[in-house]
Amino acid sequence: MDPISYFQAIVLGLLQGFAEPFPISSLGHAVIAPQLFGWDIHQNDKFFLTFLVGTHCATAIVLFVLFRKDWMRIFRGMGRSLRDRQIGEGDSDAKLGWLLVVGTVPAGLIGLLLEHPLRSLFASASAAAAFLIVNGFLLLAFESLRKRPPRRGDYLGDADPRMAKLSWKQAIAVGTAQAAALIPGISRSGVTMGGGLIVGLSNEDAARYSFLLATPIIAAAGFLKLPELLGSAGDGVRGQALVGALAAALTTVLAVKFLLKFFETNRLTPFGIYCIVAGTVCSLIFAF
Amino acid sequence: MNKHRSLIVPAVIVGLVFLAISIVYFVEPASSLPSFFPGHEAGSSHHHTKHGIAALVVAAACFIFAWFQSGPSDAASA
Repeated sequence: MDPISYFQAIVLGLLQGFAEPFPISSLGHAVIAPQLFGWDIHQNDKFFLTFLVGTHCATAIVLFVLFRKDWMRIFRGMGRSLRDRQIGEGDSDAKLGWLLVVGTVPAGLIGLLLEHPLRSLFASASAAAAFLIVNGFLLLAFESLRKRPPRRGDYLGDADPRMAKLSWKQAIAVGTAQAAALIPGISRSGVTMGGGLIVGLSNEDAARYSFLLATPIIAAAGFLKLPELLGSAGDGVRGQALVGALAAALTTVLAVKFLLKFFETNRLTPFGIYCIVAGTVCSLIFAF
Repeated sequence: MNKHRSLIVPAVIVGLVFLAISIVYFVEPASSLPSFFPGHEAGSSHHHTKHGIAALVVAAACFIFAWFQSGPSDAASA
């Protein structure tokens, strides 16, 4: 019998693709959902980790394709800056590219070194539900601490130059905060969107910055482990991982398009309330 | 960004050190790592690939930093 069925793969793929861009912790949901449904799937199961490689790769590819025009401009800008050994004045593409790099490196290093111990420490669905509540309060706090209120027309025009106005310290702080998402229940996109709000970005720009920042780190998490999926560890889950990846790709597209529209006029508050309610309900279910 | 030319040589040296460390992590099993290296474990045949990647990333960051510091001094950059 396969350790994970195709039905479970589709459900988990849809959930992963949907929850990854939303500030509600995809990892937390991936840990809680099997427990809620009574499935014999646990966060530290080798086959489950291998299965997640497929959904992460799919999410990263979709994010890259959706923002391919931004990435092409960013790559060209970074190439220019490397050639000139400086970031030209007004070259927002180059500045944004290096801001993403300095934001990604600390989080990547922390992830490489602490992913396994943290996963072992907070593996239970009860812990994920508790941290989901924490994530909800964090999102509400980010909205309270935001540097400025939303303004009409915040989202109009090219977002990249606005994001490129971040300082290096701000980029490092926002990027490093991603490492908190190693704890199931804490959302990577939530902390980066919140960080963006605190340093003065609008909701829509903070979401866009979060998606750009997410792409290399999710891609690294997925593609570094791709050999496991393709090797003997992938026996019995390879087909399910492919199906789950397709499901995740579909919901990632829908989620990103929805969120960019949603954040033109809305805030993180509804997601904060959802996390608090969902985390509390799940905690009660797991307790009794 | 202000240029700090005095940091070019230290950044390159630190980069080279981390490059060497990354190679050690990739090549040597945990049991053969120097005892002061994180991940050293007597009798283990496990290769700490993640530690190697982390060291390689730090090395690359140091080299890129040094590269930018060696650029034109009148840079009016971010």
